Amino acid sequence: MGIPHSNGDDFNCYRRRDGGNHEPLFVREPIDTQRVLAAVANDAAGANVLFVGTARGITDGVLTSGLEYEAHESMAADNLIQLRAEAVSRFSLAACAVVHRLGKIAVGEASIAIAVSGPHRHAAWRAAEWLMEQIKKQTPIWKCEYRPDGQREWSHPGSMPVGCASEEHEP
Amino acid sequence: MNPSAFNSTVVPSPGGHSTSQPVHASAQAMPPPQSEILRITFFAGMAEAVGRRHLDMPWTGGSVEQLRAMLAAECPVIAPLLARSAVALAGVYAADQTVVPAGADVAIIPPVSGG
Repeated sequence: MGIPHSNGDDFNCYRRRDGGNHEPLFVREPIDTQRVLAAVANDAAGANVLFVGTARGITDGVLTSGLEYEAHESMAADNLIQLRAEAVSRFSLAACAVVHRLGKIAVGEASIAIAVSGPHRHAAWRAAEWLMEQIKKQTPIWKCEYRPDGQREWSHPGSMPVGCASEEHEP
Repeated sequence: MNPSAFNSTVVPSPGGHSTSQPVHASAQAMPPPQSEILRITFFAGMAEAVGRRHLDMPWTGGSVEQLRAMLAAECPVIAPLLARSAVALAGVYAADQTVVPAGADVAIIPPVSGG
């Protein structure tokens, strides 16, 4: 059953800017990964890390023909901005950029690009990994997997998003 | 779900019914709900189970926990996923004890899978 997209007039969320990071948080076209990397260029940086998550064509032996992502865009934007700021502080980064694609994407295309820059490589590696883990745990974005036979399934692993009030109040 | 449970209050989702269509509306962008009405927005598998993106339902007051119970009773098919979902009011996560005011903009946030 098809459901209309949740966000349309929220388009400004795609273009939210903050703190000198001029990359959009969400795009519906292929991510320009080199642009994301270039966005974190900084004279104070000796390390630049770019992580690109791509759509797999097979998971645990099950074929996937494509993916679709949707988000609560205003909440996801707030969360990504907060995570970026926390990453900069926690890992003493020079700059940090995150771009997530929404809508349908083909196998092999990028679903997310994370770029960080900092004085040293160890912190930069860890920062990119930390950001990816946090996004997968708490950012209100969802993935739907399409099968070659036309079936599709939304992925809702685990429990409530990390950081939500109910999750925090659980014993 | 059983749509008839909400037939008298449901506002049809704007913008067609295909996920492949361009985005059209959001909880934030919709006209303000009337008083004594909750606008509930569903996402991903929850929206698919419910069969619609938005639901306007009468609300006489109560907590997030009571809202959860009402939704689960009215729509048992979503109960298991609802139990694993968070509730947000005006874009902010709310604890089960939080009072949900009439006219609130409610979003049901199921377990996430971005990245």
